Amino acid sequence: MAMKIGNENFSDRVGKGINNSFMRGAVSGAQDSIGARRLNAVEELGNWEEWRSHGEEIRQHVLENLDYYLEQLSDNIAKRGGHVFFAATPEEANDYIRGVIKKKDAKKVVKSKSMVTEEINLNASLEEIGCEVIETDLGEYILQVDDHDPPSHLVAPALHKNREQVREVFTEKLGYKKSSDPTELAQHAREMLRQDYLTADVGITGCNFAVAETGSFALVTNEGNADLVTSLPQTQITVMGMERLVPTFEELEVLVSMLTRSAVGQKLPSYVTVLTGPREELDVDGPEEFHLVVIDNGRSRILGTEFQSVLQCIRCAACLNACPVYRHVGGHSYGSIYSGPIGAVLSPLLGGYDEYKELPYASTLCGACSEVCPVKIPLHDLLHKHRQVIVEKEGKAPVSEKLLMKAFGLGAASPKLYKWGSKLAPSAMNPFTSDDKISKGPGPLKAWTDIRDFPAPSKERFRDWYKNRDKGGNQS
Amino acid sequence: MKVTLFATCLVDMFQSDVGKATVEVLERLGCEIDFPESQVCCGQPAYNSGYVKESKEAMKKMIDTFADAEYVVSPSGSCAYMFHEYQHVFKGDPIWEPKARKLAEKTYELTQFIVDVLKIEDVGARLEGKATYHTSCHMTRLLGVQKAPMILLNHVKGLDFTELPGKEQCCGFGGTFSVKMAQISEQMVDEKVQHVEETEAQYLIGADAGCLMNIGGRINRQGKPIKVMHIAEILNSR
Amino acid sequence: MTGTIKNRDAFLNNIAQNLGRNRLSDPVKRPQWKFNPQAKVLSEATEDELVEVLKAHCEKINTTVVTTTKAGLTVALNEAVTNYGGGPVVTWKDERFSKWGLTDLFKNEWPNQGLDYHEWDHSAGDKNIQFAEQANVGITISEYTLAESATVVLLSNKDRGRTVSFLPKTYIALVPKSSIVPRMTQAAQKMRELHLDGKNVPACINFISGPSNSADIELQLVVGVHGPFKATYIIIEDL
Repeated sequence: MAMKIGNENFSDRVGKGINNSFMRGAVSGAQDSIGARRLNAVEELGNWEEWRSHGEEIRQHVLENLDYYLEQLSDNIAKRGGHVFFAATPEEANDYIRGVIKKKDAKKVVKSKSMVTEEINLNASLEEIGCEVIETDLGEYILQVDDHDPPSHLVAPALHKNREQVREVFTEKLGYKKSSDPTELAQHAREMLRQDYLTADVGITGCNFAVAETGSFALVTNEGNADLVTSLPQTQITVMGMERLVPTFEELEVLVSMLTRSAVGQKLPSYVTVLTGPREELDVDGPEEFHLVVIDNGRSRILGTEFQSVLQCIRCAACLNACPVYRHVGGHSYGSIYSGPIGAVLSPLLGGYDEYKELPYASTLCGACSEVCPVKIPLHDLLHKHRQVIVEKEGKAPVSEKLLMKAFGLGAASPKLYKWGSKLAPSAMNPFTSDDKISKGPGPLKAWTDIRDFPAPSKERFRDWYKNRDKGGNQS
Repeated sequence: MKVTLFATCLVDMFQSDVGKATVEVLERLGCEIDFPESQVCCGQPAYNSGYVKESKEAMKKMIDTFADAEYVVSPSGSCAYMFHEYQHVFKGDPIWEPKARKLAEKTYELTQFIVDVLKIEDVGARLEGKATYHTSCHMTRLLGVQKAPMILLNHVKGLDFTELPGKEQCCGFGGTFSVKMAQISEQMVDEKVQHVEETEAQYLIGADAGCLMNIGGRINRQGKPIKVMHIAEILNSR
Repeated sequence: MTGTIKNRDAFLNNIAQNLGRNRLSDPVKRPQWKFNPQAKVLSEATEDELVEVLKAHCEKINTTVVTTTKAGLTVALNEAVTNYGGGPVVTWKDERFSKWGLTDLFKNEWPNQGLDYHEWDHSAGDKNIQFAEQANVGITISEYTLAESATVVLLSNKDRGRTVSFLPKTYIALVPKSSIVPRMTQAAQKMRELHLDGKNVPACINFISGPSNSADIELQLVVGVHGPFKATYIIIEDL
C-alpha cells in the first residue's frame, strides 16, 4: 500500500464513510474516550502550554539544522557498527532493503507498525521477491490478514473494524474457532505471531525518534511487539522519515512523554525501547546486523516553505481524535494513509494537489486540531494556506467559484455596491421566501437549503433601522 | 464610553434584531454607539476559501472605516477574530500592517467587551426558561473568549442553564464549508442538534450569527420546538 | 567494526539547499532551551512520596507491587513466583542476586522443589532464548525506576538478555528503593552522562511499565498480547 488508498473520488469516499454506521460509532466513541484521557493526561501536568512550547522549540531547532543532525546520527550509528542508507525516493529505499534481504537469503520478515513503510509501499515490494512479510502490531495484523485493508487511524489502525468482523476474518483466514471476545482474538494472534518472531530472518521497524548524539532510536508500543521484532531476528532494518530525530536523550524523553500523553493519555506506554546499533559482541539476543534507512520522499521539498512546520509532527494523532470532520467521515475518506487534519495538510504536500486537492477544504477551520497539537503545528492555518495555494498558484479552483469570489471582492470592498446588493436582497429572494425563511434556494444556496432553512433577508436591514432611529423615528 | 459598532453582514442583512439588541444593551450599559455606514463585509468568506487577494480590498476598507474608533465591538466572535487576523494578512506591509495591528488592539466581541472592558457581569437581564449555549470555535479558540458569555449568562435571572454535551465540537458551519462540503456539514449539524435536544433546552443561545443560522436552519427544517437566540437578544431581555 | 553510510552527501546537500543555505560544517550547539517543564515534575517529592506515586500508578497499569526488605526478599520473591504458578523461571546473570541473598533460592531451593530454573548464560547462545520462550516467569533488576509512570529501566549486556522480560508469560522486576527517581527525565540524563563520559550507551535500553497490552479491537483493553500477561514489582526498601 502506498500513501494513496482506494481509487474512488473524494465525494464517494466520504459518502461511504458517512454510511458506515459501525465505523462512525467506533470513531466517535474513540474520539470521546481518547479525547477525555488525553485531556486528563495533559491537564494533570499543570503546565501543558509550557510543554507544548518546549516540544515546538525542540522540533523547530531540529528542522532548521536537519542536515547537521542527520550527519551526526549517521556517523554515530556507523561508529556502533550499524549501516545507514539515505533514500531520496521510495524506489531507492525499497531497492536497498530488497538488497539486504536477498543478501541474507531471508524468507520471512516480521514488522512492527510503521507509517513510513506504508508510505513507500515496502511490504508489496518485499512480497514481489517472494518474501513473507508479517505485521505484528495487533491492529495492523488484523488488517493484513483481511487482504490488506488500509489503516484508518494513525495510532489505532483497525479502528473501523468491530470484533465480529475480526472474528470472521480470523475464522476465514486463520482457522480460528473461538468467540469474538477481544481477549480470545488477541490470544490467537499471540500464538500465531510467537512462531513468526522465532522463525523470522529479518525484523523491520519504523522509528518514533532517533537520537543524533548517540546514534540511538526509540520505539514506543503497548504490545511489546517491537521488542520481539528487534530482539529475535538476526538482521534488523529500521526505516525513518528524515525529520524524526532529536539532538540528545534529554529531548527524546520530552517528546516521548508528549507523544504518549497526546496519543492515548498515557504517562508512558508499556514499552519504550531505545536501541543503539547492532547487539554487542557477546550478546545473545538483538540483531547481529543493523541497517537504518532514512527516507525523504518529498519531505525536503517542504523545508524552507510556509509549510515547514508540518514536519514538526510526532504522529500522535491527537488532531484526528479532536477533528469534527474526521469524526463523521473516518480515515478512509481521506484517500491517504495519513488521515485527519495532519493528513489533510501532509498528503497534498507529499502526494500532490491533483490527488488531494479536496482535503484542505474538508475542514471548518475550527482550530480543534491546532489546539491539541503537542508541538504547536498551526494545522488549521496550514489548511488555509493550502487553499490559498490552490486558488492562487495552482489555479485549481472551479471557475464559477472564482467568478463568485471576484464579485464578492468587488461587492464587499465597495460600500456602495454592498449597500445596493444588500438592499435588493429581500426582493430578489422574494420568490423563494415563505414565513421568513427560504427552504429551496437558487444557485449555490441550494446546497444549503437541501439541508437547512435559510433565513429570508430582514425586511428592514439593520443599517436602515439604525438610520431611521437616529432621526428619532424608531427609538425604543 | 464611545463604541463603534461592527455589525457584520449577516446581522445587517438577515438578523437585524440581533443588531438592535446589541445597540440597546450597550446603550443601557452607558455606551454611546456609532455605526459607520461605510462598513462592508470583513472579507472572511473569500479569505477562508483561499481568495486572499480578493479579500484584501474589503479588509482595507474596513481598516479605514474603523480607523478613528475608540473601541470596535461586534456581536460575532468570528468576525471580531477576523479583525485580529488582518495584521497577519498584511504582515510586512509598511502601511497596512501597523494600521491592522491598531484595529486588532481595539476590537472586541460583544460579551468580551462587556466583561473585560466595561467590567460588568450582570446586565440586569431576565428570561424564564431552560437554555443551553453553543460555544463557537472561532470565538473560543481563535479569539480566546471563553468565560465572558458564561459569566453574563449565569447572571440572567430566571434562566435555567444546562451545558451542551460535546460543546467543543464545531457545528459544521465553517462558512463556505457548509455548502462546499454539504454532506459532511449535514452530519455535523445533525449531531449538534441532537446534543441540543438532549439538554431539553427551550433556547439555544450562541454568539455567532453564522453558527446560529446553521444550527437554527437545521432545527427549523426538522421542526424542533427550540428557539435559537443570539446572546445579545438574551442580554436585552427584561 | 564500523558500519557503512551511503548516499549521504547528495541527500544532505539537498536538505541544506531547500533550507536556503550551505551545508553546516561546524557542530551545531544545542540552544539553551527557553522551556524546561519536565524538570519540575515531582521535583519536590521525598523518596517516600515517590514510592507512593509509583504504587498508585501501578494500580492503573495492572501491576502488582510488593514491598519488602533485603532480609525478606527471598520469601517475597518465592511467593511472587508461586503466585504466578511457579516455574520454569529465567533470570539474568547478575551478581546483585547473590549480594541480595538469592543464590540459595535460585540454586538450591527451587531445583529441590523441582522448579526449572535458568540463569542467562551467553556462552549457551540460543538455548537462552529457547528457555525464555517456554518460561513462566522472567526476573530482572531495575536500574532506574520512574515513579511518575511506574516504569522499570533495564540496561542490556551479554549477561542481561533482552528477552527475559518479554518472552515469559509473567514478569517480575526487582526494584531497589534507591533506584526510584521522579520520571524519565532523570534516567535520560544518566544515559546522556554515560555518553558524555565517553562510554557507550547500552545497545538496548528498555523502559517497561507493566504487562504487555493492546486496545486495537474496539478499544477494549486486552492484557498480554505479545509479552507478559502479568507483572509484579518488588520494591526493596533498604537497597
